[in-house]
Amino acid sequence: MKTAPTLSSAFLEAAAGKLPAPLQALRAQRGKALADMPLPTRKTENWKYSSRYLKLTDELAASLPSGRNSGPGLAVDGYHVVIHNGVLVPEASDFPDVDGIEIRSFVDLDDDTAQHLADRLDNTLDNNAVQMARLNTARFEDGLYIRLRQDAVLDRPLFVIFEADAEAAGSVYPRIYVDAGANSQMTLVEEYISTGDQTALVDAVTEFSLADGANVTNVRLSLEGENIHHIGATGARLLGHARLDSHCVGFGGPLRRHDLQVRLEAPGANCRLNGVAVTQDKQHFDNHTTIEHVAPHCDSEETYRNIAADESHAIFNGRIHIHKDAQKSNANMSNKNLLLSTGAEIDTKPELEIYADDVKCAHGATVGQLDETALFYLVSRGIDRREANTLLSMAFINELIEQIPVEAVRETVQARLNRFIEQAFEGA
Amino acid sequence: MANTDKQVNELIKREYEHGFVTEIEAETFEPGLNEDIIGRLSAIKKEPQFMLDWRLKAYRRWLEMDEPNWAHVGYPKIDYNAISYYSAPKRKEDMPQSLDDVDPELLKTYEKLGIPLHEREKLAGVAVDAVFDSVSVATTFKEPLAKAGVIFCSISEAIQDYPELVQKYLGSVVPAGDNFFAGLNSAVFSDGTFVYVPKGVRCPMELSTYFRINAANTGQFERTLIIADEGSYVSYLEGCTAPMRDENQLHAAVVELVALDDAQIKYSTVQNWYPGDENGKGGIFNFVTKRGACIGKNSKISWTQVETGSAVTWKYPSCVLRGENSVGEFYSVALTNNYQQADTGTKMIHLGKNTSSTIISKGISAGRSSNAYRGLVKFGPGAEGARNFTQCDSLLIGDQCAAHTFPYIESKNKGAIVEHEATTSKVSDEQMFLCRQRGIDPEQAVSMIVNGFCKEVFKELPMEFAVEAGKLLEVSLEGSVG
Repeated sequence: MKTAPTLSSAFLEAAAGKLPAPLQALRAQRGKALADMPLPTRKTENWKYSSRYLKLTDELAASLPSGRNSGPGLAVDGYHVVIHNGVLVPEASDFPDVDGIEIRSFVDLDDDTAQHLADRLDNTLDNNAVQMARLNTARFEDGLYIRLRQDAVLDRPLFVIFEADAEAAGSVYPRIYVDAGANSQMTLVEEYISTGDQTALVDAVTEFSLADGANVTNVRLSLEGENIHHIGATGARLLGHARLDSHCVGFGGPLRRHDLQVRLEAPGANCRLNGVAVTQDKQHFDNHTTIEHVAPHCDSEETYRNIAADESHAIFNGRIHIHKDAQKSNANMSNKNLLLSTGAEIDTKPELEIYADDVKCAHGATVGQLDETALFYLVSRGIDRREANTLLSMAFINELIEQIPVEAVRETVQARLNRFIEQAFEGA
Repeated sequence: MANTDKQVNELIKREYEHGFVTEIEAETFEPGLNEDIIGRLSAIKKEPQFMLDWRLKAYRRWLEMDEPNWAHVGYPKIDYNAISYYSAPKRKEDMPQSLDDVDPELLKTYEKLGIPLHEREKLAGVAVDAVFDSVSVATTFKEPLAKAGVIFCSISEAIQDYPELVQKYLGSVVPAGDNFFAGLNSAVFSDGTFVYVPKGVRCPMELSTYFRINAANTGQFERTLIIADEGSYVSYLEGCTAPMRDENQLHAAVVELVALDDAQIKYSTVQNWYPGDENGKGGIFNFVTKRGACIGKNSKISWTQVETGSAVTWKYPSCVLRGENSVGEFYSVALTNNYQQADTGTKMIHLGKNTSSTIISKGISAGRSSNAYRGLVKFGPGAEGARNFTQCDSLLIGDQCAAHTFPYIESKNKGAIVEHEATTSKVSDEQMFLCRQRGIDPEQAVSMIVNGFCKEVFKELPMEFAVEAGKLLEVSLEGSVG
């Protein structure tokens, strides 16, 4: 038997950094545990379709240097934080000054808070399923710690702009931890962008811990360039009646992978997960989601849509796991895919794993092309075929985009998606 | 409810109806697997050299393979050297010429199973190639079949009499290196069924084989090969019952179907191997590779299965749709109770233009069982205009059981359309109330509801099987309501 390739030791040399001692210790411990970690192959179930895009060459191992001042990527209507190559840039950021809300850089934490955080990092993620997120914990040099006390409400969305500045080859390890107290509310917009043109790896992890009645909206935009390989993981644990509203929008790249794991841990917890991924040329995008219904009386609603054009490859894997005794669970999952070219590939696997009997679970998945009758309807009314195609494709994903509760994001995303779709039908 | 509980408990205790062992002298190999054993097996069966070479090649491949562990089932590790790879009912002389020559013990076994051969001959019009352990001992209805030109015989005979057909098609759909269990089967298969339907012939009757595992500790390695030549049609029925036993038994069969231009094969299975007792002790391990290849244009392969037995089931009847306009169908009811585990489903591989497939899967889990649907729908770049519809529904009875769905959908063609939907639910209180209110007892009510749930699949079964399937379901479900 051939032995599987393992993670190069070059990736385990973390930069010294200025992290408080407890976080340094956590990093070192994770680093040690990762020695000889086998890399996913085609035989690794959750990397079945994507392992061939994963290229962890040694030149990507070094951390990209941080510290450059850079402006925000969007004209932002809201609070914003800029994280440049994994390190917070206070000068470019606009922190909210709201009662009960604390937003701090990992390096600024006192030892007690750092210890509190170190005990919680990675707790929302099933580390076996998210091997690459463990690399983040071994390598992060800074991060954003957001704490909402009980009943605290952030009045405007908080934008976090992660800029990967690839002047040279290397890697970046952005990290966020959100600790939302009882009945607190916030909207967090994560925007991943890039500058520079060298090959780089972004390994990002965001975690949410939601206490009773907390209500968090998370928008995740994957907008990095063609030179960036992106592996991301988002984990969330929800207590009673907490709600997570997640919107992920991604544009393809040489490697794009996002794992989203939600655990509904007490009755009444509920989540809505929406996702859109579009790919063209030889791009790749892989969304893996897991919803764990641990407690009874929880609801989940999941809708993902993909469009793959040219010779690109889009993947969706959604798993709903209803634990024993999680009676009266409601779970719905839908995944629809539009395959625009015969050179492209779409793979989808909507899974149900159910250990309780009094539940309502359903999933649906389709892969296909635009509805011929709808196209005919438009064309017969004088709209040319290309425009009809664009219109229908846009409608296919707009249904989800329109649910994003932040207007500025909707507009940016819609403009980009429009451009994508027009390109996809060019010459068609 | 006290009364119901009592009834239920009585029903739970009901033992497996088909549990008995026929004592027949069997010529059995000592346990173990090596090239020598395979040589002996091949020699006993007087096989030509090409078969021995084929088996040895498969065995060498198999040695390098790993047992698959991705399925959602758990079972103790199997020691492949503790299994005896050949057991045949001892023949007094040569093969029996008529039923009178057949060992009376054997005939009794069939009678207990409800297959009186001579009655079937007249009444049902079904030819039965009965496989008792590993060697075919009695075959009926050969003559009318021969008149139509249909070859229906044991695979051992086919190897002797029609080596060119066997050599051409054996392993063409399921190659020896396909998977661990298929590899094992290729090396040591002892017997099975061979069917060849010539060009333009509609097989005059439904063909049927009753399998039955006998003799403790003998793995059963059946090999079935069905070839439907251009424009032909054949319907094949496979049914299984097995005697009660404590030790787990391995059953690793391979079924290959080949449909040429305009040919149709309908393959129906009722599987009722011994599932183990209510504590999960014993039962058969059913690791089967079934695959059909629609090679020709407009060909069609249809799988219908009712799976109620076996301790562990690992089975994915599949269709490779190569020919233009070819059609694949999969209708399945899988029921698990007590500690049974099933990981079953299908693969529809669309390679040709305008190919279409339908998957209807109904999973029912009761007791502490686990029932998983695992399916693959794949469209290759050449599958222009291909179409699939999949529906898999699960029904849970009781709060200790589990139901899973793992559908893989892979598409590389923009002109192909796939739709998949799945639901999970339980027998609703409203439905039960409605039945109870009308004086139907809970057992019967559940049985009715489940039968309704499975109706879509049952209607695909040949008549005799549909009746048997409904009955089987009833028996298997007994004790699951409370």
